[in-house]
Amino acid sequence: MIAPAERLSIRLTVNGRVIEREIAARRSLADFLREDLGLTGTHVGCEHGVCGACTVLVDGESARSCLLFAVQLDGATVTTIEGLTPPEGLSPLQQAFCAAHAMQCGFCTPGMIVATTELLRTNPSPSPGQIREALGGNLCMCTGYVNIVRAVARAAAALRGGAGESS
Amino acid sequence: MSEPTGVPRWVGTALPLKEDVRLVAGRGRFIDDLGQPGQLHAAFLRSPHAHARIVSIDARVAAVHAGVFAVLTGAEAARLSGPIRPLIPTTAVVSDYCLAVDRVRYAGEPVAAVAAVDRATAEDALELIRVEYDPLPAVVDPEEALQPGAPLLYPELGTNVVWHDTLTYGDVDGAMARAHGVLRERFTIQRYASTPLETFGAIAAYDPGLDAFEFWTNDQRPGLTISILAASLGVPQSRIRLSCPDIGGGFGNKRRPAYLLICALLARAAGRPVKWIEDRIENLTALMHACNGVMDVELAYQADGTLLALSVRDVADEGKNLVTPSQHNLIKLGNIANGYRIPAIRYEAWSVLTTKCPSGANRGIGKPFMCFAIERAMTLLARRLGLDPAELRLRNYVTADQMPYTTPPGAQYDSGDYPATLRRALECFDYAGWRAEQARARREGRLVGIGIATSIEPAGTNLASYELLTGRRTVSGSAETAMVRMEPDGHVRVSVGDPSSGQGYETVIAQIVADELGLTPGNVAVARGFDSATTPWLYLSGNYSNKFSVTDVGAIVGAARKVADKLRRLAAHRLEIDPGDLELRDGAVVVRGAADRRVAFAELARTAYADVLGLPPGEEPGLESRHAHQNPLAAPVDAQRRVRSQLVFSNAAHCCLVEVHPRTGVVTLLKYLVAHDCGRELNPLIVEGMVHGSTVHGIGAALLEEFRYDQQGQLLTSTFLDYLKPTATDVPAIEVERLEHPSPFTPLGAKGVGEGGAIPGPAAVANAVEDALTPFGVTIRSLPITPERVWRWMRPGAA
Repeated sequence: MIAPAERLSIRLTVNGRVIEREIAARRSLADFLREDLGLTGTHVGCEHGVCGACTVLVDGESARSCLLFAVQLDGATVTTIEGLTPPEGLSPLQQAFCAAHAMQCGFCTPGMIVATTELLRTNPSPSPGQIREALGGNLCMCTGYVNIVRAVARAAAALRGGAGESS
Repeated sequence: MSEPTGVPRWVGTALPLKEDVRLVAGRGRFIDDLGQPGQLHAAFLRSPHAHARIVSIDARVAAVHAGVFAVLTGAEAARLSGPIRPLIPTTAVVSDYCLAVDRVRYAGEPVAAVAAVDRATAEDALELIRVEYDPLPAVVDPEEALQPGAPLLYPELGTNVVWHDTLTYGDVDGAMARAHGVLRERFTIQRYASTPLETFGAIAAYDPGLDAFEFWTNDQRPGLTISILAASLGVPQSRIRLSCPDIGGGFGNKRRPAYLLICALLARAAGRPVKWIEDRIENLTALMHACNGVMDVELAYQADGTLLALSVRDVADEGKNLVTPSQHNLIKLGNIANGYRIPAIRYEAWSVLTTKCPSGANRGIGKPFMCFAIERAMTLLARRLGLDPAELRLRNYVTADQMPYTTPPGAQYDSGDYPATLRRALECFDYAGWRAEQARARREGRLVGIGIATSIEPAGTNLASYELLTGRRTVSGSAETAMVRMEPDGHVRVSVGDPSSGQGYETVIAQIVADELGLTPGNVAVARGFDSATTPWLYLSGNYSNKFSVTDVGAIVGAARKVADKLRRLAAHRLEIDPGDLELRDGAVVVRGAADRRVAFAELARTAYADVLGLPPGEEPGLESRHAHQNPLAAPVDAQRRVRSQLVFSNAAHCCLVEVHPRTGVVTLLKYLVAHDCGRELNPLIVEGMVHGSTVHGIGAALLEEFRYDQQGQLLTSTFLDYLKPTATDVPAIEVERLEHPSPFTPLGAKGVGEGGAIPGPAAVANAVEDALTPFGVTIRSLPITPERVWRWMRPGAA
């Protein structure tokens, strides 16, 4: 049995960088990313796995970073909003969120981008209903979701258009 | 202030938002993203009882726990700080401190606090604090709380009633006696809250050398909060600095000076900065809820449906709130007529304490319940008279040719065409078509319903209305202040005493200033958030009451025009021409009709800051102006106790289509349309987003959200697993239609839009569900309309 405050060593990849750290067993992945790595783009909205603000990709699949202990991620690959943002400018999905004004306070937005990145990887042509299903685990208190759905549809079209040109 | 310089190019355009570019990349700076060197983390020990005497607190073990730097109990807080001054004056004067001292009055009230090296250690230490409570009976129901013999939160007051008054305007009894009929109904509303996704939080630091405090917080009303902090800490306001970073949503919820005081006392004791971030359970349990309450409505009418009089008895459940008591009552009074011509109005207010979470400001404050009661009553009256609910409303609206129209309690409807708004909604919704479709669906046994609700939406609060509570004026009016500074390189910086919490100020303010100065929004940097040391501010400053359009815009425009006037004077001196012949365009002062005769702003700015001998005689160096705008509509309470408690009025009509599942009781929203008029839309992209979002707040209150308490005063819905918020799959794509009747009483004709659909939304959905349940003869008198309740309504014998 590991005591909550006992420190353990982990090695994982975050946004393409290999990280080795010794951390308390009770440290959540969200706190590890925010406090230890300074990746404050991942937000914490409920700490009980409902709101989705803290969503990150773990080995390519979306996960609630508030419900994972960082020590569970030994050997894993984690991608946060910082990892989904190009070094210069914004991704097509992010550009679509800006064009459609798919945010107001912006607190849920990183989680929304992560969740919809996963959606568009698995379904390049989602219907509005499929987009809403994919957003079902992410709360937004400001927008009523209308512009977020529009933004994702717009990004999907842009990405399909881009793929069509290159193929 | 002078006139604008040219045709607006930017105001009114749907310019994509500057702030979105950083927010979408996770580059916002929210309170939990900030830190100070040597910072400690605080955790609060909260009462498990709704009502109890605190017999003793023993924190000795916690104080010596490894990693703990400071522990604070209520008794120490009362020794080290003064009581918290109420925001709204009240005759119920008590001494409440930042921690409970000898009695707790709701489950979740903080009784002690710890500052430690990290949050987990602080929470470990809380478990080592021993509190002995002597439980007292809880009082959960507001109508029980006002009965003689009810358990008292403050025995020294002798009552739980904070305010009881009856305000009568016109001959209500006569109208009731003469009326063809009187509709009498009782409505209730549950507790709910907008629950911004970012919770509340603060960092406090103490500088012993200066005896000064510094705060960083996502508080929405920094001007007011500074005055409360200074009074409790016993330092002059000049030794308090308070800053706000990006605020992750507010909706009125983000204010609790007590929490900032706890951090300040811990920081001073520990000698290190102290950070506290509210967790979600703390947020739902203890920050603030909209008042629940009960309303008895009597509506007198003629045979053709013309309204004659309205009498309302309103009991607002404040929980343990003596900081902003009676706020919901006052705002309901100001919005009681809801856009209708009602010649005589009576309002009996009860504001009552119970052993529940403090009530407080929440999107629309009181108006959602007021609108729910009136719009439910109108729908029931239409049913009684055999009229279409739209027709009854059209017969009773204040019309465009009657504007400005003053309601009996003194509200002034300034502009708009309420019948046109409803007609637009009906047309775009295809009301007639859906009525026919509904008839067809009913024949197939489907439970399809259509709901209509309309509302007014005021902007700006005239604090003089508080005089109705105490008979004395302490604060009054509605105002905001701003600074516009052209930097030495000709770029512009703006700040305003109202920190944005998602309203897109960095963009819309840049649009306004760009038009005033002949620049592009890209040349105008609007300061993020607030900093009391650099932002101009008033006690009245802050992000509340839909006030941007009625006060902030005036302050921004006024400050920009002062800078524009100075630029013209400087250029006139340089060009030896009359300032009246000059205009501001494309970053330069230009001679009208001679575009080649111009002086670039950067050149004038260089003169103003660096080459000051080149200034006209008597002109001050620099290119910076401040302007405070007081909305001219605000006036004191008159001898008949009438007051413009709010200032300019937007309006909206909501139409929605629902289907009720006959076996499960689940309500599905099939279609939802909003026609609204908020005057001139400064940035339609921002406006439309707010209409979407506020409408979904209304839907959440209608169908999902409820802070439910048991008889012992324990909150049963303290996580997002049981306090349900609307998700993307719960709501349809809200359709928005706009009308644009500018207000003559705001500098750019804009009106309020922030509260929007949160006001009529609950009524619209309830009206639709009741319509769908027509075969069962159901009357909806309360919210939320959960599947369980619908299921029971459809099975009257099932209990």
